Order: sequence, then C-alpha cells, then structure tokens
Amino acid sequence: MKNIFLLMLLTFFSTSLLAENYFCKKDLEVLPILQGGRVKPLFVHASETIKNLTGKSTVGDYSAVEAYCLLSLNAMGLVNDLKLEARIDHVDLMKFLGLAKDQHFISYEELINREEEIKLEARKPTENQSYKNAIGKLYDNIFFYKQIKSGDNWLLAANNNGILDWQPLTVYLTEAKVIAQKALTPNDPFLPVLLRSKQDFDKFNGNEKYELELFYAKAGLAAWALSLSLIALATLVLFKNFNITLSLAAISALVQMVLIGLRVTISGRAPITNMYETVLFSGFGSLSLALVLGHLKKEKLFVYMGLAYNVCTLMMLNFANGMLTATISPLVPVLRDNFWLSTHVTTVILSYGALALSWILANTVLIKRKFGSITKKDELMYSDIIYTTLKWGTTMLAAGVILGGVWADYSWGRFWGWDPKETWSLIVLCVYMAILHGRYTSWIRPNRFITITAGAFLSVMMAWFGVNYILATGLHSYGFSEGGAVFLGSFFILQITLLVLTRNYQKESLA
Amino acid sequence: MKKFLDIDWGSVERFIGSLKFAVIVISLFTIGMIIGTFLESYYGTDFANRMIYKTFAFMLIQFGMLLSIIFAATLRLPPKKRLYGFYVIHSGLIIIGIGSLITYVAGVDGQITLAPNEPNRKVILTKDILKITYPSEGKQISTYLPYSAFKKEMDETYNNISIKEFIPFAQGKFAWTEAINHYPEDAQIHSSKYHFKNAFAEQDITLSIHPEAGADFESTVNMGPLSFYYYPEKIAHCFEKNNPSKIIIWNTITAECFTPEERGYAIKTTSSKNRFIVINYKNTYLTFFPDFSPYPMDMKLQTDEKSEMRLFSKKLFEEKPSLFLFGRKAAFYSKADQNWKMTDLEIKGAPVSLPWMGAQISLIDHQDRLVPFNIPEAIVPIQKNGSLIKGDTRAVRLEILDKQYWVTNYSPLSLMIQGKKVIIEVTNESLNLPFELALTQFKMDKDPGTNNPASYESFVKLFSNGVTTNHHVYMNHPMKEAGYTFYQASYSQDNQGQYNTTLAVNVDQGRSLKYLGSLMLVFGAIWHYNLNNKNKNKKAEALS
Repeated sequence: MKNIFLLMLLTFFSTSLLAENYFCKKDLEVLPILQGGRVKPLFVHASETIKNLTGKSTVGDYSAVEAYCLLSLNAMGLVNDLKLEARIDHVDLMKFLGLAKDQHFISYEELINREEEIKLEARKPTENQSYKNAIGKLYDNIFFYKQIKSGDNWLLAANNNGILDWQPLTVYLTEAKVIAQKALTPNDPFLPVLLRSKQDFDKFNGNEKYELELFYAKAGLAAWALSLSLIALATLVLFKNFNITLSLAAISALVQMVLIGLRVTISGRAPITNMYETVLFSGFGSLSLALVLGHLKKEKLFVYMGLAYNVCTLMMLNFANGMLTATISPLVPVLRDNFWLSTHVTTVILSYGALALSWILANTVLIKRKFGSITKKDELMYSDIIYTTLKWGTTMLAAGVILGGVWADYSWGRFWGWDPKETWSLIVLCVYMAILHGRYTSWIRPNRFITITAGAFLSVMMAWFGVNYILATGLHSYGFSEGGAVFLGSFFILQITLLVLTRNYQKESLA
Repeated sequence: MKKFLDIDWGSVERFIGSLKFAVIVISLFTIGMIIGTFLESYYGTDFANRMIYKTFAFMLIQFGMLLSIIFAATLRLPPKKRLYGFYVIHSGLIIIGIGSLITYVAGVDGQITLAPNEPNRKVILTKDILKITYPSEGKQISTYLPYSAFKKEMDETYNNISIKEFIPFAQGKFAWTEAINHYPEDAQIHSSKYHFKNAFAEQDITLSIHPEAGADFESTVNMGPLSFYYYPEKIAHCFEKNNPSKIIIWNTITAECFTPEERGYAIKTTSSKNRFIVINYKNTYLTFFPDFSPYPMDMKLQTDEKSEMRLFSKKLFEEKPSLFLFGRKAAFYSKADQNWKMTDLEIKGAPVSLPWMGAQISLIDHQDRLVPFNIPEAIVPIQKNGSLIKGDTRAVRLEILDKQYWVTNYSPLSLMIQGKKVIIEVTNESLNLPFELALTQFKMDKDPGTNNPASYESFVKLFSNGVTTNHHVYMNHPMKEAGYTFYQASYSQDNQGQYNTTLAVNVDQGRSLKYLGSLMLVFGAIWHYNLNNKNKNKKAEALS
C-alpha cells in the first residue's frame, strides 16, 4: 500500500525524475551506512558491494552508488531497467550453470530463479574445495543481491527520539517524511529526506571519519604513487640529473605515507593488519629505508633498489585485487588494541622490505652478469651493498621475531608455540643467518653469495604469503586455484627459472 | 678409557665452535621447522609436535646450536674490542637458551574451564595419562602415556590391569562384539544399523539400547531438525493402536506396554487444563503429566527419573519431524494424512520413504544381542580449518583377566574386577591450584550490526585462604595470582546456553632471562654491525 503511494507521489510530482534514475544521484555517496561492523560512506559500501557482485566497479552507465540505489528501490516498488550480472570464472561452476565456454556472465534474476538448485549443490559434500568455495560465494552473493533488492541492505541513520537508530530503506523512507518535505522542495522531495540521515548521524558521531574515508576512496593515492615511482625509475635511466629521481621518489614516499596515514585514521589501528596493508607498508618502508641508506652511504644504487621494489608492491596493490583487498574491516579480538602486535608486525614487515632490497639487487646483478657484462670490482661492490641490506634486514627481523615472542607472551602467556607464522619468521631468520655465517666459510664464495641471496627471498615470500595462502588451507583444499596461491606459485617458478638460467654463467666462467 | 682421553678436545671444540658447524646446525634446524610447519598444516599441531618440535632429535639440534654458540664465543676469548657486539649477541642467545630450558623443565602451560558460579581449581595440562580409580577405596593410580606420533606397544601392569597398546591418533572401525556381562534371554538389548538419505546428506546411523553400547551408539540422535528415537521392539505394537488419548505407558525393565484405554485408566485434567493420569504400579500410585514429562511426578511436582514406568505421548511428536525406530519397524506422524504410520523394515530391504523432503531410510543390519563397537585403529590425523577432522581419539588397549578392553578419551571404562568397581579413563594430566576460581559473568561484545565478536571478557571471583577477590580477565589483560598468570583464551556454551570461559594458565620462571637475553641479542646485533661499519670507515680513511 505504502509502496504504491510512493510510486504515485513520484510520478505525479516529478516526471523528469522518472525519466532519469528516480532520485538515485551522486549526492548520495556521502551518506553514512553501517555495514560489516563499522560506519562508512555509501560510496565505499556501494563500490565494494557492486564490485563483489559483478566483478566490475560500474554497471553499464550507472556508477556503483546509482546502481546500488536503483537496486534498493525495487523494495519500494520502483522498477528500473538495471540488470546485474554475476561473473563466473570457475570452470566447473560454469558447467553446472550451463554456461557456454566463452560465456562468463549470468544475470542475478536468473540465479534467483535457480536458487534452490544452487543451494542444494552448495551443500552437497564434495572433494573439490575450490568448486565448493566458488559455489558457496555465488550463493552468498545471491543472498546479498536479494538483501539489497529488498532494501534491507541499505541502512540509514535516523534520530529516533534521541537515540541513533539504523533503519532499512523501506522503514526510513516513510510517506509522512516525503509529504512534509514536498512542502519545502516540491520538485524533488526524496533526496533531502535521504540526505537528512547524514545530518542525524553527524549530530551523534560527527562526520570526520567517514567523510575522510570518502576522500580516501576517491583520491586513488595508490595509483598516484605507482605513477610517481614508475616515472622516478624511468628518470634514473633517462636523465643525468639524479636530483629529479630523488625528488620524485621522495614525493612518492610522501604520497604513500599519506595513504597509510589515512588508513590509520580511518581504521584507528596500526597499518599492518591484512595482506594489502603489509604489502603497502613494506613497499613504503623499503623505499624510505633505501632513501636513508642511500643518503648515509652516498650510494645512488639504494634509490634504484628502493624504487624497483616499491613499483613491485604498488603494482600488486593496484592490480592484484583478487589477492589483496583494500577493504577496511574490524579486527578479531586478539589483534585489537595491542601495542606489541603493532610493533612486532611493523618490525617484521620492515625487515622483509629491507631483505627485498637485497633480492632486487641480487636479481639485477644475476641478469646483468648473464645477459650483459659486469666487472669483478663492480660485483664485489654489489655484494657489499647486498650485505649492508642483509645486516639491516636480519637485525630488524631478529628484533621482530623476539617482539613476536613478547606479543605471544603478553596475549597468551607463552613466548613460543610453534605457530606456523612465527615459525616461518624464524625460518627466514635462520636462512639468512646461515648465509651470513656461511659467507665466511668456503661454502659460500662471493659469486655464489649473490645467487643464494636471490634464492633466500623465497623463504620470505613463503613466510609472508605462503603461510596464509598455502599452509592455512591445509591438506584437503587442493587449493592452487585461489589468487594468492597462483601468485606465489608463479613467483617461485619465475625466481627458480632465473636462478637456473643464471647458474649456467658460473659454470662457463669457472671452466 | 685411554682412547677416550686421547681425543683431541681442542679440535672438537674448534669444530663445534666453527662457522661450518654453525651453518650445519642452523640448516638442520631450518629444515626441521619447514617440515614441521607442513605437517602442522596437514595433520594438526599435536602431530607436528609429536613428530618434530618436541622430539628428542629436534631438541638435540637445538642443543647443538647452543653448544655452537657457546664454543664460538669461548674460542674467541680473551675479549677483543671489535668482537664486543658478537659477545653480547652470543651471550644473549645463551641466556635465552637457559631461560627456555628453565621454562621447559619447571614451567606450567595449561587451561582451566570455568562454569558460572562453580568454583574450580583443576588446571588441565597437555600430557596424556591413563587414570585408574577405585571409588570404594578412594584410591587412584595414574601413569603417563608415551609421547609418540604413532601407536606404541606397552607393557605395564597395575593389579589385574595390563596396559598393552597406546594409539595417539585413532579412528573407530565399526564391529559387532560380544557383550561383557550376561543378560536374561528375553532382555531387550538389540541394536540396528540404518542408512538414512535425503537431499543434503546420506549416512549410516547405528542406534542401540544395549547397556554396553558406548557414547557413539545412543538411542536418540538428532540430524538437523529431524530426531531419531530408538525403542525396544516389544513396544512397537502399542504405537499401532490408534487410541484417542495417543498415550502409551510402558515398563522399561520388561518392555511391556499398554494404553490407558485398555486398562481403563481415566485421563483427567487439572484446574489449569493440564492432562494427568494416575496408574497403579506395584501397589503405589504414579502420577503422570503426559504433556510435560515421560516420568511420573511426586507431590512437589519433581520428576522421578528412576521409575521403571514411563509414559509416552505421541501428541508431542507430531509437530517436529520425529522418526521412531523399533529395530525392524519404524513409526512416524504424517502431517498430510493426519495420522501415525507404522512400516516394516527388512534387513537389506528396500528403503522406506519418509514424509520430510524426500528422506528415505533402510535397515542394513540388526543384532539382538551383540554390542556395536568402534574398534580404535591407528591413523594419521587430518586437520581442517584449525581442528582435527579425523583421528582426534586417543585410545588404550587393556588386558584385564584375559579379556581385551579399549578405553578412549571419549569413552571411559567402568567395570567390576573381582567384586571391586574400577573406573579407567584416558585423560590429560591435571594440576590443582592453591586457590579456587569461579566465573561470575562472561561478556561478549559484537561489532555493531554484525554477529562477529569484538571482545571476550570474564569476571572472575578468586577464593584464597578465606579471602574473596574480584578480577576482570580479558584479551591482553591477564590476571596474576601466586605466580600463575591467567589469560582469556576461549569460551564455550553448555547445553543450557550458559557461557563457560576457558582461561590459559601459565607459570614461566624463565621469563625474565628470556627478556634479558632478547634485549642483549638485539643490542648486540646493532653494536656488532655498527662497530664493523666504524672499522671499515677507519680503514677507508686510512687508505685515502
């Protein structure tokens, strides 16, 4: 009854609105919404949701916010021509849905019709873990789609007699409110009613945080930083004047610092609580460290190493969305409000950044040695620089591992529990310790030292990504189909191939 | 003896203190850890501990590292200025090693679970033990079970009880076994194995009313919304009677049954419209309230669960999907037809359709006197999502007066040996605290608008020497008392929906040494590299 009334209101008062997107406008993106355990701007929630449902950030000509709003309006009986399609990539899932080989999209309306069938399939016990995950996610997405369509996903803040109340769209947008507003703004009575939710929320909690998040989400700082670092790297080759490179690198580091600072302010915690943040922090940390070391040692090479690794991490942040999600979500209890966790992870990630510098230079030398030429003196000089980064890396790693023990002691009452993450950080430390000790024996000669350092970084990758993407899945998920495992597998194959290729050189040179 | 003394101890010291030996032990340690993390991921923490981390060989490698660190330092004495950082690093490592050794030998690492308002002082530790209790004498014997990853033969005897074998990770293999005790010819002690299937699941269910059937084979099983009830064959015929009251009264000893209508018992109602019925059994009057309890109630409305007589009201089982099984017969209520149906099941016969979403049941096996039993078999455990999905049973095989018995951590054994009652359990070693703790309140906050926990907090009362104090234990805020530290570790919900809290209990005498060693290690490393840098800089200056 209420819905029909609203529809009549809309048609009667604003025919122009009907032609376009009703009242679904860009203005809505600043509205606060409570989802996933915290308050965020509608822009962020709509973008994440539409991306999650369709794999794309827009739907046809509609922006994510417009699409989200139009979809929610179905609950008010306001129909529209919006069609959302799910992206299906899993081969077995495509087969189950009856999709042709090159057909990756299926509309959510069709999926809703087949929901019962999909539910049964998702509950069926199967050995194929990746298929189970894929169909489980599809089933969840159908649920979300229906939830949005019913208006229950869009929660609006309302001042309910002095108490902040979160109401679904259908409860919030009452005809009484619309009629009252119509007297003030006869052309469009809807938008002001919705925007009032922001005023109500701001009265209780202030607008700083979520508006800052809106700025953060729209600024695209990760892309800016990537461009800056890339250009800086290019100027290193193109221009004689080193100061250009240095300033660009410094600006890029600054942009990344702002990016990290914004995330810290928005989430209210140390910037190292998920993969996205650790990659971001290690890239920023190693660039900063490289700038400092380069300044102290008066060696330009450090800036090259820092920039090259920085570009790698920023590439991952910008393009590896399947593996690293930028979503800010609340933490599990044991990770909250914890000084030792923050210092421990920061130190370890920073040490990984330092070790990454050695990895970059070691690989550069290996490639140069194989495909270009290099003098013995230069090679020794490179070895020395690698050694410097290793010293920094291992000292920080040792401190990080110990701080990890302090954290475990503080949170659980024991220093060491052979937890895979802590064990792997110790493995990395031991690997580099073996190299640093072995360097003084006949086993690791200067020419082998570089090869071994390049290979040793595999242990860092295993500790950093492998524990989460390979070990955590256990024996019974034959899980090399997930993003993280594919990335790590490719990295291992590439690095080992490079080591094998450059190994030939040594044999020839020894002969 | 002479030869032993002839060994050149100096060269042994030089070898152990050498860089090559350091590289060897570090590499062995690393390889051990790598294997350990993969084992942990596939087979669980306990298996990895038993295979690698807590084995003698792995301890030996760590001891080798400690020796290498010590000798590397002693070889470089008397002190040289450029090695000061090195000495600090190595002393730090030695101190950490000593601290860890103290913790290993004297430390306590366990858990205590607190139920609301129930004082407890028992801390559960990690070691497995076999506990033999003689309740009449108040005597208790316990013995450690071997810390191994695979099954182990044992030969230990206490009175008449011999321990023959221990399986750390076991899975039951189904078998029918002879009963231990004797039962009368007409005793209702049958068991049946059914195959149940619906759109979501398919599984074998074995139900039993044999008194010796263990916890794996009960007479009531719930599968989602559906409940299975297993009753003596002899009362099946009463279910077929379409008596208007839908009440059946039966004797749990003889399994004889009748309806109130048959015996002329009147069904009356109380002033508040509740049905009740009074029957005469062995010259006493028993009052039943059919819509509330299967047991008779006394004057104070307390149920008498020991009574031999039970009442059954079919009415109560018409709403929720309930399947009654009597060995070769099954009964259920059909909502569509509004009546109770009884069907026959033949062993290995055709499946019978049930009125719940295409469900079907068939009888696979039926035994009148044999006992269903899961015989423990050693397996390699399998972990999924942080908990064992296979092999979480620890089992011990015993020989008592020439008969074989199995005890597991899930099914303790209780039997009479030469007229004396004995309880045998596989359990964890425990420790009694010098004070008692009780949970007064457990609090869990959620993230706004979600069901994800944001924090766990326990409010705890501590009773020590007649003094009661209140404490608040929550994430990263432990409670300290008499050398013990209590951390919020986990929580659980009991049958009544009440929250219990689990606290980690810890005593660590090596703590201060480990902190001291760690500090020395880090500062030593900074000093060492800094000195090296200065030396180099000096050299560079000298050269230029």
